[in-house]
Amino acid sequence: MMHTAKIQAVGDMPVKAPTRRALAKQQTRAKVLDAARQLFSEQGYEGATIRDIASAAGMSTGAVFANFTDKSDLFREIMLTDMTALAESMREAASHGTGAEESLLKIFVAGYRFYQTQLPLARAAFSVGWSPQDGPALRAAGPVQTMLNLFTEQLTKGVQAGELTQDDQSALRTQMLFDAYLANYDQAIFQGWTIEALQSRSRDQIRILLAGVRRG
Amino acid sequence: MAPPSDPILTDSRGGDVSDAAPRLAASAAEAPDATLGVRRTKKQATRNRVIDAARELFDTQGYQGTTIREIARHAGVSVGSVFTTFASKGEVLSQVMADRLDGLYAELDRVMPHLRGATIERLRTMFAIHFAFEVKHTRLFLAHIAAAYDWTLPSTATPMGKNQRLQGIIRECLDKGVAEGDVEADVDQQEVTDLLMAAYAWVYRLAAWNDADAPAMTAVMDRQIALIAAGFRPRG
Repeated sequence: MMHTAKIQAVGDMPVKAPTRRALAKQQTRAKVLDAARQLFSEQGYEGATIRDIASAAGMSTGAVFANFTDKSDLFREIMLTDMTALAESMREAASHGTGAEESLLKIFVAGYRFYQTQLPLARAAFSVGWSPQDGPALRAAGPVQTMLNLFTEQLTKGVQAGELTQDDQSALRTQMLFDAYLANYDQAIFQGWTIEALQSRSRDQIRILLAGVRRG
Repeated sequence: MAPPSDPILTDSRGGDVSDAAPRLAASAAEAPDATLGVRRTKKQATRNRVIDAARELFDTQGYQGTTIREIARHAGVSVGSVFTTFASKGEVLSQVMADRLDGLYAELDRVMPHLRGATIERLRTMFAIHFAFEVKHTRLFLAHIAAAYDWTLPSTATPMGKNQRLQGIIRECLDKGVAEGDVEADVDQQEVTDLLMAAYAWVYRLAAWNDADAPAMTAVMDRQIALIAAGFRPRG
């Protein structure tokens, strides 16, 4: 997100040049976010402190707090950036699937590929996601809703194509598919499962969850 | 719901059986006549105070929001004495949950063999017993799940995923279904079990975030079980 924001700022120049101060602020935020991403990946959500993040970014804790209210604010910003990009690649992946089952599987796998190289960050996200303070906000975040909608779309398309029967449990089915997708990260994080293993497991899970609406 | 579950639901809703029982058993086992025995009893008392304080804090503030220092202050003991018994807050939480769940699983061990009816109904009853037992402490359960993702968690702690008891109970339920012909023999039982576990965890999130009561939790779980059951129904 920081990168797009920067490019946009350059493109906007002829219309309204950002002040030097605004640019400096943006650079500071980017530096803090980079350092925070690094530390959350190395030490998890629990282990990373604002003080460490500030020192890794080469600035004072005061400068960090001038840009972010607290650690959870920082973490949320990183998550939102990632999840927005992920939702986009999930949509792209789904468009290459034929049929609901395959499209859903492609969505699952797009997620596992996305986090393959940053599993520690995914682990930190789960830690935050289950907390009573920050969990609800993370689950209600825009990109998460986009992902849920994408799951529902595949079910609707399946009905339209005559692959699935009309589903009065579509909302529940969507949520259960999404939870199955999320739960599989445990295998990746704690047991080092490969994408292929995750894919084969996901396929079985999707089949089980679609069994009630499969035609024929 | 099958009749055998009804008295169980009332029992577990009525009193905190799981909290009291293991502690009483533990202190009764101590012999307070020798100095060594006194010391042990004292240590046991400290441990119980820590567990009680921790249970309350994890339940109200979640896993991240609770620190060893707070637990010690709440229990009226020194930080050092917490650390003589537990290596980390993850371990304290594991012990809190183990004490609670021992009671629940003893109850389930007693009830499960007597359950009759279709697999889907047996699963529903089994989870309803869980929710009736845990409904007042759903946040505690979320803390238990969140702890699994903590970096600093030692391997001795047992967060949600590592607890094999529930998985074992589900598998027995499915095996019985295969034997009785209402569960497809070829279905991957581990995957069905994992889906049920994910659904189960989801219901706690729903309960903690939306203040759902036990009947509401059970109703949602019943629908999820029905959806999964369509996937293990015998084919052909």
